[in-house]
Amino acid sequence: MRSRCRWLAGLFLAALFTMAGVTTASAQDDEALAYYRQAKIDWQQAKGQSLTIGLNKHPFTESLLPLIPEFRRLTGINVEYLILPEAEYFTKLVADLSQQRGEFSVIMTGPVRNWQYVPPNWILPLDDFLNNPKLTDLGWYKLDDFYPALIAANRWNGKTGGGVGEGPLYSLPVLEESYILAYRKDIFDQYNIKVPTTLEEMAEAARLVKKNAGIPGIVARGTPSVASMGTGFMSGLKSYTDGQWSEFDDKLAANFHDPRSVKFTETWIAMVRDSGPPNWANMQWYDAMEAFTAGQAGMIADADFFAANYEDPKKSKVAGKVGYALIPAGPGGKPYAGLWTWALGINKATRSKEAAWLFVQWATAQRTLLNATLGYRNYNPARASIMNDPRVQEIMGAWGGGSYLKVVAKNLETARVAWIPQPERTRLGDIWARSLHEIYFQRMPAADALKKASNEVDKVLKEAGIK
Amino acid sequence: MVYPFGLGLYYSFTSYWLQYPNRFRFVWFYNYVDLIGEPLFVRALEFTLGFALVAVVVQVGLGLAVALLLHARIPGRAAIRALMLLPLMMPPVITALMWKIMMASTNAGILNYVLSFLGVDPVNWFGSTQGAVVSVLIIDTWGNLPFVALILLGGLQALPTEPYEAARVDGAGPAAILRYVTLPLLSPFIVLAVLFRAMDSLRIFDVIYATTQGGPNDATTNLQIMAYQYSFQWYQMGKGMAQAIVLLLLVVIVSYLLMRLWNRASESAT
Repeated sequence: MRSRCRWLAGLFLAALFTMAGVTTASAQDDEALAYYRQAKIDWQQAKGQSLTIGLNKHPFTESLLPLIPEFRRLTGINVEYLILPEAEYFTKLVADLSQQRGEFSVIMTGPVRNWQYVPPNWILPLDDFLNNPKLTDLGWYKLDDFYPALIAANRWNGKTGGGVGEGPLYSLPVLEESYILAYRKDIFDQYNIKVPTTLEEMAEAARLVKKNAGIPGIVARGTPSVASMGTGFMSGLKSYTDGQWSEFDDKLAANFHDPRSVKFTETWIAMVRDSGPPNWANMQWYDAMEAFTAGQAGMIADADFFAANYEDPKKSKVAGKVGYALIPAGPGGKPYAGLWTWALGINKATRSKEAAWLFVQWATAQRTLLNATLGYRNYNPARASIMNDPRVQEIMGAWGGGSYLKVVAKNLETARVAWIPQPERTRLGDIWARSLHEIYFQRMPAADALKKASNEVDKVLKEAGIK
Repeated sequence: MVYPFGLGLYYSFTSYWLQYPNRFRFVWFYNYVDLIGEPLFVRALEFTLGFALVAVVVQVGLGLAVALLLHARIPGRAAIRALMLLPLMMPPVITALMWKIMMASTNAGILNYVLSFLGVDPVNWFGSTQGAVVSVLIIDTWGNLPFVALILLGGLQALPTEPYEAARVDGAGPAAILRYVTLPLLSPFIVLAVLFRAMDSLRIFDVIYATTQGGPNDATTNLQIMAYQYSFQWYQMGKGMAQAIVLLLLVVIVSYLLMRLWNRASESAT
């Protein structure tokens, strides 16, 4: 009898705790979703539909995944995703887009990638979704909270050679990425090395770091692919020429062999060859970032948001020792760094257009991106309200002793998408990167290698029917 | 099998760009003629043939040495044979990535760390053109040597004993037995090993893609890598297929010649 009473009492308590847990979880759930339910749309209008999201292996992806269950609870839409390393991701994505199978409904993309997808009509403009009151509450969504340069970067009127910032909006940004210089403040202070403001000073600083500290003076991406060209190198070249040089002239003829480009390339390659790591030619972005984070380089000119890694005391050997500066400028004294933004777009072939838009809207909403930044280190924020949030300011404001935010803000005044819109940007970048290897390994002088690259690009564009 | 091959062959005669479907047209042999004039194609062809030749010589030579060692009654022979299977169990990409980490250019890589105790300066395994070629060869050899050794070991174990007895009665020493008895009798197995390794080495892709992606400076770009780049990086499917067809023809020709050699070796061994 006694044991039976104890058993019943235990069952009663277990039920009580379970109900309390469920009630608490439900209350927390309501609180989490309350923000989204302020929007005057029916989030459940696509309930029961399914989506597959195509995602590139990237810190943004890692910040999004833990939040997806929230979207499922909000909308009743079933979400699956496929994550692949970058090169494989874009190969699979293009295979799906080109056949319009609709395997991916929502895709991770960005401005320069969209230039490939827009001409053959593979992705949907988002303006119709934004302007549909049944699907979007613009007052709640606050499109103008995004940095204008990032929204402009994702607009294109479809014309080869120009038109960025005009025409339909093809994707919505989830982060901002521009290019600045990070340097080892402790080494620079110890050996009295000047923070470079010109390319020549940068080469000299790299030389001095290597000589005095015994580590590579600079680390940079070096694989023979477009991924190596658009960040520090391109930003340096644009800045060196006061934003006046472009990879094409006004007749859409390739322009790598321009004397200013030749001079910059000679100096840059000499710098990485003399003062960079021995395996520069095989360095991907993560190799360069990790080398700097591990204290194996004096400088890195690359993505600003890499600072999240440099300043993470759990992972970084240089946390608290990094200074930040603008990319060295040309005679005009202003940087013209490139700009990139990972963004979310919608496959035209998707069978669940409304569901896809609800996902994109949710994923780029202020609260989602704030959670992604605060909880899962999605940097740099694409929305001004998130960048200005006191909690984000507290984290990012500490970086570089306060110099990071100032440098990023200053940089964004002039940062722009560096490439000229045309569908063969990947091919162009690969050809250009190969020419740098010819110069680095001294198979050809810079002028010849860059002229050869220009000729090759012209031939490709002619074959592709672009010119 | 016929349909995909036929479609690929057809595409090789077309201007087929994935992102320009409206420019699809038949161009006859334009892709093939254009390839011949492309310096990168010539370099890739040289590397394809050169790498295959060196890889086969190194792997079959070392494989024969290992097989002879394992055929002899050495202590721990069974354990060594079991351990030899490990590289065969690992996917080539995992093998390549594992070696890439071990071959880091600074002393952070275990290989350079060990070499430093021998007084050797850090080797720039993947950052120099020669280093990259040697690195790919080392990784490919590590992954495939056991396969060659096992084929040859099986051959050694299947050889008749009478010729050996006769040779010993005639006073032949180990070197003479190896040259005049073992190698001729083993020749069909050797040619078989050469055939398998030649076919694989001509088409090597995974190790190169996982480590150097054809660089640096195209030093490790072979026809397979080039076909991949044209098809899946640049979406120029017509030219990519043309390169794949050229590679296929190369493999077929080499395989045919080696098969004839294998038939002849089999006949003379009996």
